[in-house]
Amino acid sequence: MNTNSFAELYGEYLSDESRMMGRAESIIFPKTEKEIIMSEKECTLKKAPITVQGARTGLAASAVPLGGHIINLSKMNNVTGARYDKAHDRFFLRVQPGVLLADIRKCLLNKSFITAGWDRESIKALDYMKKNEWFYSTDPTETSASIGGMVSCNASGARSFKYGSARDHIESLRIVLTDGDVLSLKRGQVYAKKGIFKLMTECGREISGQIPKYKMPCVKKNTCGYFNKNDMDMIDLFIGSDGTLGIISEIEIELNRTQKADWGVTIFMPDESKALDLVIALRGEKIFENSAPMRLKPSAIEFFSHKALEMLRTQQKINPAFSSIQEVRDNYHTAVFIEIEEDSDEKIFKQIQELGDVIVNLGGDEAATWVANNPAALEKLHAFRHACPECVNMQIDEAKKKDTRITKLGTDMSVPDEKLKDVMDMYNEDIAKNKLNGVIFGHIGNNHLHVNIIPGNMDEYEKAKKLFLIWAEKIAAMGGAVSAEHGVGKLKIPFLQKMYSEEDLNEMRNIKLIFDPLQLLNRGTIFSYKQREDMP
Amino acid sequence: MKIIVCIKQVPGTNEVNMDPVTNTIIRESVPAIINPFDTYAIEEAVRIKEKYGAEIYGLSMGIPGASEMLRDAISLGVDKAMLLTDRKFAGADTLATSYTLGKGVEKIGDFDLIICGKQASDGDTAQVGPSLARGLGVAYETGISKIVQIKKDSMHCMKITDDGYEEIEIMLPALITVVKEINVPRLPSIKSMKLARKAEIEIAGFNDVNADENRVGLRGSATQVRSTFVPVHKVNSITIEGTTEEKVKKLTEVLLTAKI
Repeated sequence: MNTNSFAELYGEYLSDESRMMGRAESIIFPKTEKEIIMSEKECTLKKAPITVQGARTGLAASAVPLGGHIINLSKMNNVTGARYDKAHDRFFLRVQPGVLLADIRKCLLNKSFITAGWDRESIKALDYMKKNEWFYSTDPTETSASIGGMVSCNASGARSFKYGSARDHIESLRIVLTDGDVLSLKRGQVYAKKGIFKLMTECGREISGQIPKYKMPCVKKNTCGYFNKNDMDMIDLFIGSDGTLGIISEIEIELNRTQKADWGVTIFMPDESKALDLVIALRGEKIFENSAPMRLKPSAIEFFSHKALEMLRTQQKINPAFSSIQEVRDNYHTAVFIEIEEDSDEKIFKQIQELGDVIVNLGGDEAATWVANNPAALEKLHAFRHACPECVNMQIDEAKKKDTRITKLGTDMSVPDEKLKDVMDMYNEDIAKNKLNGVIFGHIGNNHLHVNIIPGNMDEYEKAKKLFLIWAEKIAAMGGAVSAEHGVGKLKIPFLQKMYSEEDLNEMRNIKLIFDPLQLLNRGTIFSYKQREDMP
Repeated sequence: MKIIVCIKQVPGTNEVNMDPVTNTIIRESVPAIINPFDTYAIEEAVRIKEKYGAEIYGLSMGIPGASEMLRDAISLGVDKAMLLTDRKFAGADTLATSYTLGKGVEKIGDFDLIICGKQASDGDTAQVGPSLARGLGVAYETGISKIVQIKKDSMHCMKITDDGYEEIEIMLPALITVVKEINVPRLPSIKSMKLARKAEIEIAGFNDVNADENRVGLRGSATQVRSTFVPVHKVNSITIEGTTEEKVKKLTEVLLTAKI
């Protein structure tokens, strides 16, 4: 098949949500692990590069092919089993990589799974599970993301403030290597020792190597290349590895117990600095001398800048697609959204009263809040939050009509807690200095904000791109991460280069060579492709 | 002006699961909420209050627990609330419900406007609003999508119809039912929730509303539910695989055999 006809037939598979366009010669939609093995073996024989795809909702272009073969896992979309650990009251689901987050949520909500082909233990576990309410805590805003994709970029989302990222809820993985051999890894079973790791494949081949020595950033959310720690659990190497080491064919995810009450509150503060003070208070830090830390422990803390609210206010009035989102009053300046989970509504109500007092003490107004005390209302606040990236995407599409070279310009960087105010000052000053239209929103609880620039023309687009590189450098200097949840993919390689030296990146390349000696998998992802000197 | 908003408590989900044995809705673990259509009615009343000044009464008939739902209505801007609750009211169809609500309205006294949601999300009949108006002998209009202006004795509105919109003038007092399009209902604030916590909900039983025993509850219902059941879907589907030619051939065979 030549490239032209491939693009005609399978054009959509040459791109993902990053809107970068790639190229490929062939594609396969395996339904079983065996089919992945066969496809990988064939590619290895032909030395054909392989791009792995899930639901293609990634923003860093990891799933965009740069030639070669595509292995698209969207048809491996079955939940294949369940497990209940009675001793520790832990419940797990075994899923194929193409299962969508929305599917998992629906299954859990209705407590209904297609159990054809499940073993007896799984069916029994499901009966236990049905007695209680469970949920999967990893919640990237995009629910059409696949679980495999979420593992690959160590996704997180709003509730990672309480529950951590995807990594914290992955119990086991099956990974198909390029030679067709399979690694089956279970958390807590294989650790590196003094910087050396040894893994055994299912065919009995031993794979060993050295854990890289580069220093990971001291932030709660990080997906900047391979995870490394001297005595790390080896499953962690593959989580967040952007599909560069092997193809994930099965994942066991851990679920959490749903709390009986789940509320949301959006708080509008009179200015940004007061909003930041509120965030700091919500994180449990003292903001006034003599004041006790708040008892309220939110599961998510999200932020909407003044410009973000302005954008939503305008779109609500003029765009029918957003006409049903909550109306933002003209005097609402900057917003903080929190979610609170407890075992009773009454407990949350008490915490909300405390929150009201803190808001007033900080110069805010208790009336300038939206409280969602039931699932339907909470959905409205989620829709409001989700409208932010949607509005940005729509405006980018508009800008693209004027100049097709324009793509989405959103950051995904996080910094340590103590740098929150510094990083906000940096964003605000640089956006103003460059006269750009910048909208800031996101996971402020983890100091992880998405700064989106909406360029009016190519000149502004270029300016913003340069600015992102400067920010990557400054954020690396603050001890932050240049990619917190989207993965490095192909688009953020220049940022990673600001964070890590060439020597550090070579350490990552060496890890890849151990598992993928021909460098076939997701070439040009995380780091640029360098041909090995010892290979033709 | 005095506005009465009729509010119903419904299960807070649109994914209704039925018990296969008893054929009733499984209500456990499903929180009760204000009928979503009624939230537009509350919001419109609050907007009228903000623009013209008004006193808003929330009125509901239901189980004693529905008083908490009325508290939620107060947190949304309703000033006072009355719950009609009595074992004698139980089992009411739309006719008996609207009669009982009418008795509640009489107890509240003179009013200028009654606002109802278009329908309830659980019963879906859209009958109670018009039936209540008929019982009270006041003018009514359904499907109101915009209140343009309120004058001394009348109200200028837009009404949604199958073909578009009608511009209408209604003499007050009147009853309107409102559609989703009319506004975006606000959510309560911390401040309004604190206030609602302290509010008193008036509880009225059969003896408080001067009602006719033969017109309330099951006895006053013109319709009665004989049985409920979960419909059985008996759809057999087949998947046709193969090349396009093979698939077409197979499909043709299947259609011919089924005589479609």
